[in-house]
Parts: sequence; structure tokens; C-alpha cells
Amino acid sequence: MTVIDILFRVDEICKKYDKYDPEKQREANAFLDDAFARLYSLVEADIEKALAVRFLFSYPFLLLFSFQTLIFQINYWNKMQKSDKVSTEKNRAAAVALSAEIRRIKARLMEEVPKLQKLAKKKVKGLSKEDHETRFDMVLALPDRIKAIADGSTAAANQSGGWGTSSSNKKIKFDSSEERFGSDFYQQTEESDQFRQEYEMRKMKQDEGLDVISEGLDTLKNLALDMNEEIDRQVPLMDEIETKVDKTTSDIRKNNVRLKKTITQIRSSRNFCIDIILLCIILGIAFYLYNALK
Amino acid sequence: MSGSDPGKLISKADNLTTLSLTRWSADWESATRLYEQAANGFRVSKDYENAKLAFEKASKGREMLSSPWDAAKSMESAAALAKELRNWTEVIDFYRKASELYMQCDRPQFASDSLAKAARAVEDALPSDAIKLYSDACVLLEDDRKEQMALDLYHAVTNIYVKLEKYTDAVAFLLKLGLAADKCNATNSQCKAYLSAVIVYLYAHDLKQAEKCYNDCSQIDAFLRSDQNRFAGKLLSAYKEGDVEEIKRVAQSRSITNLDSVIIKLARKLPTGDVAAFKTNAAIGEGEALDENDLK
Repeated sequence: MTVIDILFRVDEICKKYDKYDPEKQREANAFLDDAFARLYSLVEADIEKALAVRFLFSYPFLLLFSFQTLIFQINYWNKMQKSDKVSTEKNRAAAVALSAEIRRIKARLMEEVPKLQKLAKKKVKGLSKEDHETRFDMVLALPDRIKAIADGSTAAANQSGGWGTSSSNKKIKFDSSEERFGSDFYQQTEESDQFRQEYEMRKMKQDEGLDVISEGLDTLKNLALDMNEEIDRQVPLMDEIETKVDKTTSDIRKNNVRLKKTITQIRSSRNFCIDIILLCIILGIAFYLYNALK
Repeated sequence: MSGSDPGKLISKADNLTTLSLTRWSADWESATRLYEQAANGFRVSKDYENAKLAFEKASKGREMLSSPWDAAKSMESAAALAKELRNWTEVIDFYRKASELYMQCDRPQFASDSLAKAARAVEDALPSDAIKLYSDACVLLEDDRKEQMALDLYHAVTNIYVKLEKYTDAVAFLLKLGLAADKCNATNSQCKAYLSAVIVYLYAHDLKQAEKCYNDCSQIDAFLRSDQNRFAGKLLSAYKEGDVEEIKRVAQSRSITNLDSVIIKLARKLPTGDVAAFKTNAAIGEGEALDENDLK
């Protein structure tokens, strides 16, 4: 038999024989006639339970969220993250579930409070007048005590962790508790005034500089666009020039070739020899005539 | 030969060209040569009248020799001398003849060039003739699909019209400029042309036309995306509000300085007349609109 089984069996037996437990009977009977007292005791018991559970579960996180050990917390958190992410998840999820449970209990208890108030007004035999008044006071104090039970929502507001809290904080507060800022908060000190002025001055100077730059850029842009258009205009002209120059070069080359051919033909050695021979023949004829006439 | 008196050369050349009993056909070649020499001689001695005549005759000679190119060149020289003599009708005639000769050579660019020179010469004296010459030159270029060259000519025409204070005509030519620029993808010139058109209308103190023009031009993508569009919008809204200071401030901005000088002068003089009238008109317009939409 396992331990669990034993525990269960013991519980069952105790429940069965509860009626024979004199102390418990006395407790149960004590409030038999007093509905208020019974209800109040139940409410008290619930509050205690809630606080205990909250404390149990909030303890490790209270440790983590202490300001002095912030760095330790971060390391611890890192370690936790690295080693046992799942359990952290479970822990947080469990804590979230628990907070929800506590909130439910609180709501239920708040509902019970008006009932208690009504009962407190009723007169019960066997109770003194002072007791009656104290009961009323106790009932009045109850709502505060119930509200004071910590659950996730209020706890997170007081915690300042570098990382998300285990209890999900879904309330985003912009203007949280104005009492925290004193009237001095919004007053401008001399330093801040000076700083602001300096900032404005610098900003103005920067703006002026940027204006000058922008003007220069505008001019540049316009120049560039005009140059672009001019070059576009020149492109077809250049193409025309190119074709014409090509044609002219080929013409010149052709002419050169022809010229060269003609010159070589003219100055060929054959013609030169013929010229010399003919010249000699003419000179000979002239000499002969000269001799004949002399 | 070069040292001899140009007058003598002229008379000699005349002799060569005139037909007589001893001469059955005119010797144009040598005559033309002589004419050109004489013309140069006269030009050097600053005898413009005779030089002009000599060039005219030389051009005729070249024509006879079927070289229209040289003829055109001589004609242009004659026209330049006529300009010195401030004989405007002759200038126009000579340049027109030259452009015809260039067209014979199948060189429309040169033809339009000579017409443009003519226009530039006479634009002070005979602006309407100048406009005609410029338009003819633009037509020649556009026929040859060389619109880019025409942009300068359009600018010149616009300037003449502005000087004559014929603002609607000026705007018409600016829009033609825009069209020509569009054809050759010169978006910068196109946008500047449209902006200039709006400014001319505003200078003529015609806000409605200016707005209409602006709306028409906004149909065009290139203009819509440009700086000039933003500037025109600002200017028109300043006019609608009737804010003189705003108009002056907007008109001093950078976009204006990139435009043509004549347009810059117009812009600097804005606003002309009473802008408050525009303001009240606009308000009344809105009031009426409200009444119409008021459902009873």
C-alpha cells in the first residue's frame, strides 16, 4: 500500500467518525443558534486560507523582487531560464491560476459581507450589547481585510522587475497615483530652463544650415537635369557626326589607294627607261643633223 | 589678284556673266570666284553695301553652278551684312532664301537655323515678323523630328509675346513647348514650361485661367510628380487665400530661379492687382455651393 492510499483511507475514516469528535461537535454546536457567528467564522477562515496560500506562492517571488538583489534576481532568472524553463512556466501558470482563484474567493467574500451586515443587526439571545457593537465593527472592517489580500494585480504595481512578472499584469496605467509627484515635480529649475533654451538655439541653427544645404541641392539638381537634357540633345548629333566621319574616312582611304596606284604606274622603271632611250635617240638625231649641216 | 580693287573685280565678273555678241555662254565659275573675292575685299574695307551686293551675286552664281549649299552660305553672309546696314526687309528676304536653299540640300536643321537667325535679328524692330520666322523654324524642326532643338526657339517666341504683353499667346507657345518636350522626354523642360504658363496667367491676373491651366497640366504624370507641380499648387492656394505676403514668399523660392529669365521677372512682380478680390470670390463660391446642397 502506498502512502497516498494510507492517507486517503485515514481521511475517510476520520470523516466517518467525525460525529464522535467532541471538540469538533462543540465547535459546530457553538454557532448553531448564531447564524452571524457561523458565517463570520467561515469568512475569516477563507481570508486566512487565501493569505496563507498567497504568502506561500509569493514568497519566492518576493525574494526575487527585492530591489537590493536585483542583479542576483537577473542571474537567478537566467539560470532558471536556462535550466528549467518548463518548471518556470508551470510555476508562473500555477501562480496565475492561484491569483485567479484568490480573486474569485475575494469576490465571493465581498458578496457575503452585506449578508453579514444584516445578520449583525439582528438581535441574538445570549449576547451582550458591547458584543453586538463589536460585531458590527468587525463586519465593517471585513471589506478592507478582504481587499488587502494580495493577488496578482496589486502586487505587480509595486514590483519593478527588469522582466515580466509571474502574475500577468494586464492593466496599463498612464497616470498612476498622482500623489507620488509632488508639486515641485513640474516646476522648471534654472538648469532645465537653460538647457531648453540652448536646445532651441541649436535646433534653430541646424535648421538654418539645413536650409542653406537644401538650396544648394536644389540648384545642383536643376543643373544636373539641364545638363542631362543637353546631353540627350547632343546624342543624335554625335551619331550623325560619327556616320559622316566614317564615310569620309573610307572615301579618303579609297582615294589614297587609287593615287598610290597611279603614282606607281607613272613612276614605274619601265617608263623611266623608255624615257631615257627616247631622249638618247633624240639627242643622237640632233647631233647627226648638226654634223650634217656643219 | 587678291590685291586688286574689288570694284574692278566686280566689273570684270559682270562682264563674264553678261551675254553679248562675243560671249555666247556665261562663265559662271570664274565669275563666281571673282564675285566672292570682291565681296571679301569690300567687307574688309567695311563697304557693307557693295559687299552685300557682291555676296548676292556670288550666291546666284553658285546656284547656277548647282551647288545650293554654297549658294546658301553666301546668302547668309549677305544677310549678315544687311543686318549691319539695318535693312530689315532685306535681312528677312535673304535669310528666307538661304533657308530655301538649305532645304534643297535636304538639311532642315540649317534651314531652321537661318530662319532663327533672321528672327533674332529683327525681333526688336519687327516682332510680329520675328514670331512668324520663329514659328516657321519650329515647324521645320518638328517635321524633321528634332523637337529638342525647337525648345530654345519656343522660349524665344514666348519672350517676345511677353514683351508684347500678349499673355494668352505666350501661354499657348509655352504649352507647345511642353508638348515638344514631352515628345523628346525632356521632363524637366516640360514641367518648367507648365509652371511658367501658370505664372504668366497669374501675372495677367487671370486666376480662373491659371487654375484651369494647372488642372489640365496636372493630368500629365510627369508634371504631377514634379517639384514644379507642388510649387504651382502652393502659389495658387496662396492666391486663393489672397495672402500677399505668402505669394511674395512663395515667388522668391528656389523653383522660380530655375526658370527662364523673363519668367523670373514676371514672378518677382507678382502679385499684380488685387488678390483680395480672388479671396472674396472664392468665399462666395463656397457659400453658393452650400446653398445648392442644402436639402430642404
